[in-house]
Amino acid sequence: MDHLLSYIIFAPIAGVIAIGASLAVPMDKPQRDQFSRWVALICAGVAFVLGLYLWVVYDGSTAGKIQFIERATWIPSLHIEYFVGVDGISVSMVILSTLISFIATIASMPWWRGKDEHDDPEHPHFSVVKVPGYMIMLLILQTGMSGTFAALDMFLFFVFWEVMLLPMYFLIGIWGGPRKEYAAIKFFLYTLAGSVLLLLAILALYYRTGDQALLQRLATVNPEAFRRLVDAGTLAMDPQSHAWAYRMAEGGFASNTFNMLTMAKLGQAGLFDLVGPFLAGITFAKLMWIFMFIAFAVKVPMVPLHTWLPDAHVEAPTPISVILAGILLKMGIYGMLRMNWPILPAATASFAPAVSVFGVINIVYAAMVTLAQTDLKKLIAYSSVSHMGFSLLGMASMTESGMSGAVLNLFTHGIISPMLFLIVGVIYDRAHHREIEGFGGIAKVVPEYTALMGLAFFASLGLPGLAGFISEFLVLNGAFANLPWHTALSAVSVIITAAYYLWTIQRVFLGNLNPKYAHLPDVNWRERLTLYPLGALAILFGFYPNVMLRLINTDLFALVRSVKGV
Amino acid sequence: MEILSQVKDLVLLAAQHGAEGAGEALKHAEELGPQKFVTVGYLWLIPFFPLLGFATNALAGHWIQRRFGKKYVSYIAVGAMVLSFAVAMVALIQMLGLPPSDQYMVNFLWNMITAGDIQANLSFSLDPLSMMMTLIITFIGGLIHWYSTGYMADDPGYWRFFCYLNLFVFSMLMLVMGDNFVLMFFGWEGVGLCSYLLIGFWYEDIEKAKAAVKAFVTNRVGDFGFVLGLFLLFWALGGSWVERANVIPPRETRWATADPNYKPQAQSGTFYEKDPSLSPSKAATTWENYRRDPASSASKGGIRVGPTFTFRELRDQLAVDATGVRSRLTGMTFFGIPLLALIGILLFVGATAKSAQIPLYVWLPDAMAGPTPVSALIHAATMVTAGVYMVARLNFLFALSTAAMTVIALTGAATAMFAATIGFVQNDIKKVLAYSTVSQLGFMFIGVGVGAYWAGVYHLLTHAFFKACLFLGSGSVILGCHHEQDMRKMGGLKRFMPLTAKTYLYACIAIAGFPIANGFFSKDEILWKAFDSGSNMLDPSIGKLIWVVGWLTACGTSFYMWRSYYMTFTGEYRGARGEAHLGGHAPLLPALVTGSLASLPSSSVDAHRAPTDSPQVRDMRHPDSGADPHAAGAAGHADHPDHKAAEGHGHGGMPHESPTSMTYVLVTLAIGCAATIVLGFWAPLGHLLHIDWMQEPMLERWLSPTFAPSRELVESRGAASGTFWEWLLMFASIGVAFAGWLIARAFYKDAKSTVPEKLAAAFPGLYRVVYNKYYVDELYQATVLRGTSILAKALAVFDNVVIDGIVNAVAVVGRFVANIDGAIDKYLVDGAVNALAEGIVELGGRFRRLQTGRIQNYLYAAVLGALLVIGINFLVH
Amino acid sequence: MPPAATILDNARSLPYFLPETLLTLGAMGIFLLDLATRRDPRRIPIIAFTSVAVLVLATIATYYASSLPYLANGQRFTPMQRPVALFYGLIVIDPWAVLFKYIFWAVTALAIWMAAPSLEITSERMGEYCALLLSIAVGMSLMASSTDMLMMVIGVELVSMVSYALAGFRKHNRKSSEAALKYVVYGGVASGMMLFGMSYLYGLLGSTNVAAMAPLLQRYTERVFLMNLESSQAGAGQLALVLAVVLVLSGVGYKIASVPWHMWCPDVYEGAPTPFTAFLSVGPKAAGFALAVRILYGAMSQSGGQDLATVVAGIPWPAVIGVISAATMTLGNFAALNQTNLKRMLAYSSIAHAGYLLMGLAAASATGSESIAIYLMVYLFMNLGAFLVVGAVARLSGSESIFEYRGLSSRAPFAAVAFAIFLFSLTGLPPLAGFVGKFHLFKSLIDRGGAWQITLAIIGVLNSAVSLYYYARIVRTMFLDQPLTPAPIPVPRSYNVLLGVLVIGVIFFGLYFDGLRRIAEASLPMFGHS
Repeated sequence: MDHLLSYIIFAPIAGVIAIGASLAVPMDKPQRDQFSRWVALICAGVAFVLGLYLWVVYDGSTAGKIQFIERATWIPSLHIEYFVGVDGISVSMVILSTLISFIATIASMPWWRGKDEHDDPEHPHFSVVKVPGYMIMLLILQTGMSGTFAALDMFLFFVFWEVMLLPMYFLIGIWGGPRKEYAAIKFFLYTLAGSVLLLLAILALYYRTGDQALLQRLATVNPEAFRRLVDAGTLAMDPQSHAWAYRMAEGGFASNTFNMLTMAKLGQAGLFDLVGPFLAGITFAKLMWIFMFIAFAVKVPMVPLHTWLPDAHVEAPTPISVILAGILLKMGIYGMLRMNWPILPAATASFAPAVSVFGVINIVYAAMVTLAQTDLKKLIAYSSVSHMGFSLLGMASMTESGMSGAVLNLFTHGIISPMLFLIVGVIYDRAHHREIEGFGGIAKVVPEYTALMGLAFFASLGLPGLAGFISEFLVLNGAFANLPWHTALSAVSVIITAAYYLWTIQRVFLGNLNPKYAHLPDVNWRERLTLYPLGALAILFGFYPNVMLRLINTDLFALVRSVKGV
Repeated sequence: MEILSQVKDLVLLAAQHGAEGAGEALKHAEELGPQKFVTVGYLWLIPFFPLLGFATNALAGHWIQRRFGKKYVSYIAVGAMVLSFAVAMVALIQMLGLPPSDQYMVNFLWNMITAGDIQANLSFSLDPLSMMMTLIITFIGGLIHWYSTGYMADDPGYWRFFCYLNLFVFSMLMLVMGDNFVLMFFGWEGVGLCSYLLIGFWYEDIEKAKAAVKAFVTNRVGDFGFVLGLFLLFWALGGSWVERANVIPPRETRWATADPNYKPQAQSGTFYEKDPSLSPSKAATTWENYRRDPASSASKGGIRVGPTFTFRELRDQLAVDATGVRSRLTGMTFFGIPLLALIGILLFVGATAKSAQIPLYVWLPDAMAGPTPVSALIHAATMVTAGVYMVARLNFLFALSTAAMTVIALTGAATAMFAATIGFVQNDIKKVLAYSTVSQLGFMFIGVGVGAYWAGVYHLLTHAFFKACLFLGSGSVILGCHHEQDMRKMGGLKRFMPLTAKTYLYACIAIAGFPIANGFFSKDEILWKAFDSGSNMLDPSIGKLIWVVGWLTACGTSFYMWRSYYMTFTGEYRGARGEAHLGGHAPLLPALVTGSLASLPSSSVDAHRAPTDSPQVRDMRHPDSGADPHAAGAAGHADHPDHKAAEGHGHGGMPHESPTSMTYVLVTLAIGCAATIVLGFWAPLGHLLHIDWMQEPMLERWLSPTFAPSRELVESRGAASGTFWEWLLMFASIGVAFAGWLIARAFYKDAKSTVPEKLAAAFPGLYRVVYNKYYVDELYQATVLRGTSILAKALAVFDNVVIDGIVNAVAVVGRFVANIDGAIDKYLVDGAVNALAEGIVELGGRFRRLQTGRIQNYLYAAVLGALLVIGINFLVH
Repeated sequence: MPPAATILDNARSLPYFLPETLLTLGAMGIFLLDLATRRDPRRIPIIAFTSVAVLVLATIATYYASSLPYLANGQRFTPMQRPVALFYGLIVIDPWAVLFKYIFWAVTALAIWMAAPSLEITSERMGEYCALLLSIAVGMSLMASSTDMLMMVIGVELVSMVSYALAGFRKHNRKSSEAALKYVVYGGVASGMMLFGMSYLYGLLGSTNVAAMAPLLQRYTERVFLMNLESSQAGAGQLALVLAVVLVLSGVGYKIASVPWHMWCPDVYEGAPTPFTAFLSVGPKAAGFALAVRILYGAMSQSGGQDLATVVAGIPWPAVIGVISAATMTLGNFAALNQTNLKRMLAYSSIAHAGYLLMGLAAASATGSESIAIYLMVYLFMNLGAFLVVGAVARLSGSESIFEYRGLSSRAPFAAVAFAIFLFSLTGLPPLAGFVGKFHLFKSLIDRGGAWQITLAIIGVLNSAVSLYYYARIVRTMFLDQPLTPAPIPVPRSYNVLLGVLVIGVIFFGLYFDGLRRIAEASLPMFGHS
């Protein structure tokens, strides 16, 4: 399986082709719907199985070694390569994305057996509307996600990054709720506005890598770093042009490079810091850092760039919220971890305090806002914002435990928040509303559902023994080492979080039963299939987080050290 | 003369014993090295069985109950308890076989977290202290399980109840057996979760649900402090001056201690074999070694210095001077505050929540909304003592900071007194017990605060017995009186439920502090140690003050406990015959009082009552058909065997003795109250009578390995007031016990006296304030809660209006600009040309003319411009 | 310093001029064919296919001409590297011109293909239409390949004059006549100004040949500044030069519809028959850019077109162009936001795209002109595609209002999907061709790396974010809204085929654009460049 990653990335595309071909074949609607459902399910399943296999065969013992590398020149004239590979950090994300994609696909199946008495013809359930289109979009989205996590060439990364936008736009816009168009376009514009800046930054860095004068300056300013680059084979003298160049996949020489790893090496050697004041007196490195950071901060989302999230979540159909919360939010932090931190370490160091402040704002501010929400889904959306703040704080702390907490948080939150959104979806499918005040005492009629929601809520509020706690604990502990006051402030959210979750449970499940819901059906098998695995994982990672940490840390700490080395 | 001489003898005796004690202590200190320990493979079974029981009942309990009946559910739950108690006994036997210095059993399961400095294992450990706790939890927990089979017999949520109970026991065992802070925190929050679940067990009553939420959130406030303290400690240990994961050979240790001018910074290089790479993989490998043979580093007598969560390692580096950690920490300050004091206080904040101390005690009285066995197990015997356990477990840390000790002791004293006064006037029997629990916990904190760790722990033990007995007794009473909790509706129950009455009486004796039951010995030891604490407190006089407070509180304790006994069991039965349900609707204040309080509107009284009383009010009626025992209705009730045994008819009628499953438990606990005297029998008597095994209380000897690290320090700071005082104070405390009893007897025996009402009438304001618990809940409600919710709402609005508003505003502006652009094109350009076109249309022959006409004009303009330029050009030539 | 381009006399130039000759003859032939097939029911296909065939021939001829010098030396067919100046250096045939010729032939062919099933072009006028288009093609190729200002004017005028006629092609259609009218007015003024400017340049420099101008201009500038040192009469000279350049540029700006010479664009696009609008939005624009590059890099360049940042007459033209570019794209995008008429919206969007293209001009570097070439090739696909869909929808309904597009996804699924792809490609989202084009434009700016270039790039990317809004609005209408009538819209097969081709092109070039880059790079060695 030396093309394992490509299989994982492009397995969904096979499904897209299959469904697209089936459109040409005359079938009646139910047949076609069922067909495309099965295709999507199979493709996502295959990707998931391959993801598990990846986990098994990934060798976690070696630090800083990229594995399952696939490298081929894509656009020779621009030295763009199809260059994928995983290290400890990205492998966990790839696994997560295949898992969540699979679960989201299951959640996209129609939720009732036979006819549904809860469904009104006016607003048909999203899972029966334009099914082939839906599945195609879902599959493309999956490709984009695993591609983004596996890409090691900046151009490729950007392409995958953007490929995620369109399907997301349609999935929210076509299959979403009442204000779907507003939400969809808002999401689209926000993300695009961010990512175009990312494009500029990528291009600028690309040119600097080929700037001979700059390389010469590096050689004079910091000779040993330069020598290290040469010894490591990162830089080489191109025999034809007699200029410093980078080796391509097929052995040729590239004057410039989009290769993230190479750029990281150059950045840590201090190459990009040598470019002087650039625009409005800001140095090149800092400006590029800001460009990239904005692109990623939108995805995180970082207050005040977060307002697309509540709308998108509230309007998106359940499986899309699942993917949104489970994976897309992780892209932001992952991007910083791949670009800002390793490539521009000096700028990172100088911006870290600001980032930590933003992290605290995310955590506390969003938690407070959550406390005031009345829509169940909005509540969870805001709580996601708050929880992603922990990742920001951990990243800013630049300590080993802080960073590993931040990355683990991507994973644990990637397990828990999908569960939360699925759970909200369950109740929304039945009651057709999400008003917290609109329920009451339903624990009596849906005990299993209550138990699952309790599990998810407690996992999310960081109850020890469940996944959420470990990452928050690591982040806070790591951050405390150099940001005591930030940490103390953030730790307040531990109280607020408990408050809003328990208050929600109280209002929805406890007290006297609201007669309107005396005959609410409990969770069905399709929902069990999606909820129980996540619940089990939440418990597993609560008691044995090292399964993931061992994977993440070796490479993460190598990164931390090399970044701090500057 | 005789007496005087005797007293003199005693004094001398005490003097030399004191000297010996000191000598021992010093010797002890010199021997004190790294904690040796043995590895065993079975400790995990102790928490595992309850976990298994929980899992089984959680997943299949509902089905089992439907399919096979409740019996089997309880078999699973109780069976789990029995098994884990059995394993605990095995552990105890093994530990008894070990020399005291090795009494530390470790059972490593797996490495849970390895991230940078952080190493947290899932590994259990038992030392004498946690051994004792484990026994209490499994034994009393088991008893209460058994009791519950009777008490919850009619509850449809039977299986749910037992799986929560099992989960609780599991968490509690994690708390006491975990060998590092992380596991302790697992248990710490786990018990919080279970108490949440069990308080809200009858969730259909929204008040109970609210009480549950209150309990959890309040505990979270405490955890906030606890976690911060933890991070602070970790941060303090992780100084850059010492390499991580190093081992000190013991020999050098001694030499280091011998070295007068010892500076860890300067000589660390020579002392510590440096491990150059700090890479986590490296650290992990050391842990791998530890995992393969945990004894190895111990046999080398090694100490792992640096940031750690493991209690053993923390103890070692704090206890062994050679590491220099202690001297370093004492020197450190955090933003000007002495670090150790800050750490201690922050950790103690966690304890105040868990163990219901001022200011975070508010949740405990409300927690009485839970079923009575829960109150007995969680809110009296085990969970609420977690804070005390934590302080005792970290004695080596707390002992280092007299400031922290003082704070703890004073808080304890204040809480003890404060809660006792509230206890005076409560009429709800469970409420009385709740406040007495808070008060007794205060005593325990006095103990661990002044450095009398074993005494505090001993009181924890005795309290576990007598308070469990009292609660279960009250439970039996409540069940017998058909869910009546108001003591004014009881009385004379002695006749109806003799066993309950007797056990309750003995428990009263125990808590009130008569020297014929365990309570006296623990409480007296605490008070004495407080008096004798000397410079363990910031100021020696504080110890004396605390003694006075404790002494008075003891009197109060005796008073309100006897009050509850007399109101409940003596006199005539005042309960409503037949329909107990009405009870709840009756006003809680005695008629006389309300009469005397005519001045204040009764509505306001209700208002004040609302937040805390209402759960009980609900508990008295049957709010939730079917969720409450008895609520299964007369039918389900009639076929309840024990009730048949007690009295022919189910509801209504006279009270009846409870089923045997309950009464037997009461008896067992009462016996326990007597038996546990042995553990802490009064040492001075031993000295006087020259009985060997009484020289040092059994429990103190048993616990000495755990408290060894702090012992030297505490004793060196002690006042050593001498045996004379010890005798004196003992008689004093016996005196107050009697005093309290006599007053209570005068006021409440057979409900003859009218003095209490008179008193209440005499000081209505005071009575009202005390009755409403000093309005603390109202205060919190008004300040913290309202403040938070207002802020939250404000921020939500801000988020919607301002932040999102800006974004939308940008869009709006964009569209506006777009419109302008469009307008320019439309009106300016089109307008011009259209006007033109119109004009041409009238003139007819539009194309040609227009074309010529217009374009000529343009060209004229162009030509003019050209001429102009050329003209300029010539000019300049 | 321009390479020694072999300058040929008229007789020897003719074989190189074969494509244009063919087209001219073809145009005449079509007129005759038009007369010949009056009665023939299959008249439209016949004419259409004939003219397409002519264009194919022209393409072959272009390839042949481009490789003539090598054939002369007995080498085998290879695309030319060295420019050849024809007719005593009036026009030149060099890779740059060749590339654009290919583009022109293609766009013309597509415009004819589109016109065939369109009902706007009635059968009796088909011949006229095709013939006129062919002659425009000749004009465009003259624009692209002329190195002498006179020839440039002739080219521009040829294109313009015929365009006026075609813009007003829909008889008895008020909008159409209006469009023609405005077009004539603006066109007349613009070409007049351009002519005037050129005459003035000639007056100042004494030459109309672009290649020869460069050194003259340089010397003149130096002289002006020399004068500046002693006397004050430099002012006049400088002013004159500035005026001349501005006038010439304004002529070009009018052809590519850049602010502030864009105002004719929306109305003309709206009024003209859709196939011609499509043609207009690509062909003349491309010709204009080819011309602009020639002037700027030929006449006004120093050091052989590599660097235009040096000041001509005291004014940094790239910066000026940068400002124009920023203004153009911003105005275009913002004005497009609220348009409800699709053709109008696309007109504004094409203005915005002219702005993007100007970024490549402002970069004033080899990569700049390379990126322009790439962008135009890509733009050909996506913009024609977009207009094709508009034509298909408007074909029967005759309405171009956005409401016509409600629920198009259910009424004409393929067209809707294709349209969505074209629109997102126009937005510049990967993996679609539009992204590749934009990518290279930004790349060329960032390559220069100066402060104002970066600023311009930032404006550019933000603009593409803005443009998303109105493109996505159409997509939303097509996919998210309910159709007014469920009746499916019949799309001619020929349209569907063409759509398929264009879609595949857009996606393919989005995923693999190395070929595009090679072509563009090969086209760089330009007459007047080193």
